[in-house]
Amino acid sequence: MSADVNTECGDMLTRISSYLDGDLDAAGCQAIERHCAACARCAGFVAGLRETIGLCREAGSAPLPDAVRQRARASIQRLLTGEVL
Amino acid sequence: MSDAVTKRAELHPSISDAERADYAQLVRASAAGDREAMERLLMRAQEVAYRFSLLVCGHPQDAEDVMQEALLKTYRYVSRIKEPDAFRTWLYTTVQNACRMKRRRHVGEPSHLTSIEQGANDGDRDAGPVDIEGHARPADQLVMDAWVSDRLQRALKALPPSQRMIVVLREMEGLSTREVASVVGISEANVKTRLHRARVTLRQALEGV
Repeated sequence: MSADVNTECGDMLTRISSYLDGDLDAAGCQAIERHCAACARCAGFVAGLRETIGLCREAGSAPLPDAVRQRARASIQRLLTGEVL
Repeated sequence: MSDAVTKRAELHPSISDAERADYAQLVRASAAGDREAMERLLMRAQEVAYRFSLLVCGHPQDAEDVMQEALLKTYRYVSRIKEPDAFRTWLYTTVQNACRMKRRRHVGEPSHLTSIEQGANDGDRDAGPVDIEGHARPADQLVMDAWVSDRLQRALKALPPSQRMIVVLREMEGLSTREVASVVGISEANVKTRLHRARVTLRQALEGV
């Protein structure tokens, strides 16, 4: 029993990113969801990766610092008005 | 069933197509002489360059130079572009190359700091993490701190450069797997493999800080 569970967990780990990215078909998703419903460790792992991806996405959508944006805008204006950068 | 499990699809809404279309629209309008569109496009190009320089290359002192490079090349390229839908891939490739060239110009640069070149075609085995903090001027680090959480910065440092680049392009910049593969120069399958490894490493690093 233990060996089966470990094999199933291992299989789950290899497919978890595909699952989180929505790349698995319905049957693949259901298999993972069934497993996680019965395996707290894998469910925790999925939750952890979800949080990790969420943190990255949050950082990616954060605006740049104001000072950097101001310098960028100034560079654009100089370029569009024909000044030498 | 775990709520965390059932929300899988919400993590990656399909922003890639919308972003690509938005860029393409800006490119077309800019090429047609729309100044406002050009300003928005140039601002985005500089934002991409800045983020990429800091997060992937780990050299904050280069970021503003790379921004200038992205600004000029985008301005010159827009009027000649034949495939507006491919602009975003072109932009990231251009920024990546600008970072690479910037590193090459540094006299006495230790070879292990040319991290971005290691990311293109090799595996992850030789690509040691770049010490982002160690090469940042204090002011740059303050900017970085205000922008990306200290926790995430530390976790990103735990990644080999080749994986860090894929995380930034895929997770932070929202490129599709295909676009990442095109920019990095590896197969889509390889992108997925590296991304998975990177996520696991990031998770472990986040749990450790």
